[in-house]
Amino acid sequence: MSKKNKTSSLSGLRKQEKKLGYIFASPWLIGLVIFGAFPILASLFLSFTRYRMVGTPEWIGLANYRALMFNDSIFWTSLWNTLYHVFLSVPLGLFVGIILALLLNSKIRGIGIYRTLFYLPNVVSIVAMSLLWLWLFQPNFGLINQVLSPIYNLFNMEPLGWYRDADLSKLTLILMGLWTAGGSMIIYLAQMQDIPKDYYEAAEIDGANGFQQIIKITLPLMTPSIFFNFIMGIIAGFQVFAIAYIMTQGGPGRSTYYYGYYLFDKMINDNNMGQASAMAWILLLITLVITLIALTLNRFVFYLGDQD
Amino acid sequence: MQSDNTFKEHRDPKLTLKQRRLIKNTLIHAVLILLAFVFMFPFLWMFFTALKTPAELLQGIEVLLPKDPQWENFRVAVTTVPFFMYLKNSLILVFFAVLGTLFSATLSAYAFAKLQWPGRDVLFVVMLATMMIPAQVILIPSYILYDLIGWLGTRLPLIVPYFFGGGAAFYIFLLRQFFKGIPKELTESAIVDGAGHFKIFFYIMLPLTRPALITVSLLTFMFVWNDYFGPLIYLSNPDHWTLALGLRGFQTQFTGRYDLMMAAAILVMLPTIVLFFIAQKYFIEGITFTGIKG
Repeated sequence: MSKKNKTSSLSGLRKQEKKLGYIFASPWLIGLVIFGAFPILASLFLSFTRYRMVGTPEWIGLANYRALMFNDSIFWTSLWNTLYHVFLSVPLGLFVGIILALLLNSKIRGIGIYRTLFYLPNVVSIVAMSLLWLWLFQPNFGLINQVLSPIYNLFNMEPLGWYRDADLSKLTLILMGLWTAGGSMIIYLAQMQDIPKDYYEAAEIDGANGFQQIIKITLPLMTPSIFFNFIMGIIAGFQVFAIAYIMTQGGPGRSTYYYGYYLFDKMINDNNMGQASAMAWILLLITLVITLIALTLNRFVFYLGDQD
Repeated sequence: MQSDNTFKEHRDPKLTLKQRRLIKNTLIHAVLILLAFVFMFPFLWMFFTALKTPAELLQGIEVLLPKDPQWENFRVAVTTVPFFMYLKNSLILVFFAVLGTLFSATLSAYAFAKLQWPGRDVLFVVMLATMMIPAQVILIPSYILYDLIGWLGTRLPLIVPYFFGGGAAFYIFLLRQFFKGIPKELTESAIVDGAGHFKIFFYIMLPLTRPALITVSLLTFMFVWNDYFGPLIYLSNPDHWTLALGLRGFQTQFTGRYDLMMAAAILVMLPTIVLFFIAQKYFIEGITFTGIKG
């Protein structure tokens, strides 16, 4: 085949590519419209209507939003519970994940086994995990209170009620969540292994000890993955639902009645699709605002390869 | 790199580099073993609990190991509820979800990685953005839609979306990275030899990215097997319940019988744990490969 022929057959295919691009992407594109764009717009519309799965949606303007924000104390309770959950669980999760990753970044024997073990809780289903921790935190016979009983005795205090205590229930679920911190650890580790070795060698020559190397090299160069896990943690944290549904049913006294739980009840139990949609859109806006605020932190993020 | 004088610090001159490294590694091992113990003990405790009698449950850590292991508990767990029906239902959903995800994610990943078409780069950003939208925003109208077309109470809402890239944004991203890694020369020489893009896709791309396909299948399997929210919303018919729903039903049926609950929970999570151990290479690579690296 001559050279000219070759290029013309390639350019012919280029034209064909335009059509083929849409054909190859069509399953996802159709899905984007039917299962993405349409529901998003529809839920925005529904949030301005009264609709209970019968008849047609009736336009009521901002009434759903007004009812939630000015006439519904449960809305604010659920939002507060969720903010509490997000603001504690995200930083704690980051902290534990980073510590695990730093420890596992060392070149010691059996490091693969440790990685596997710390990641393992992430493959357990949320139901199984919830049942397990119900049992571990069980106030009377659970392992955790049994282990802590010498401390309780020492300070002469009552054993903690964990998920049965309205003041501790949110914290209990947050502590349980730390068990899966190994999920983010894997992402940190991947990034740490990309940091050029000569950075550390240079630091070593300058006399930096291990701790200084972590503070001045590893952590700054890890900021992209920290940032990623931070954003993802916030998005997931605002949707917390299943653990509360299974473990505490939102109790005691609505202390673990999270935003996602209230939305679920509005939707499934009350069939109040208008208000549920309004809640979904408020959630979307909150997530968006917090993500945008977080994005301003982006200037503290170092990207390898950006410097020179 | 900046050089900083504060980096200079005093070290014990009597210790050689080797000795210092040995001490450091021993310390790290000690910390890791302790932490691993804390992370793993819940699993052990779960297993011990599953083999205990109700009386032993109340004795807590006084009875660490059951005196007379109640293997019977596992039999009770699978016979008092239609365990194998739940298993079948879970497998049905997993099968179609994996099939659908592979179908839609590979095709669109190829479009994003190897084809030039108008709007591609904008749509790619849109795809990444969909990962950040709370599920609830999509959930309500979808629920109404499924109600209108008579899909509520069937398995279809948990099957059909997967064939249209539902929940696949992450996988499309992952596969795109893999496809991009296949050298251009390979596809272009195939084109010269007269192969079209469908041929290239089936005979070059898919075979060469098999590890990535395995990763996507495994992650989908894990997600669907463990998913609680989707089945809770859509599977109103108890005959369609999955293991995750069944396990939750088990909990309400046997309040306080943690021995039986733990036995059932172990059976539900065993397949994912075994799968993870067999194929952990694919998991870890898949999760890290996507490179949240800037």
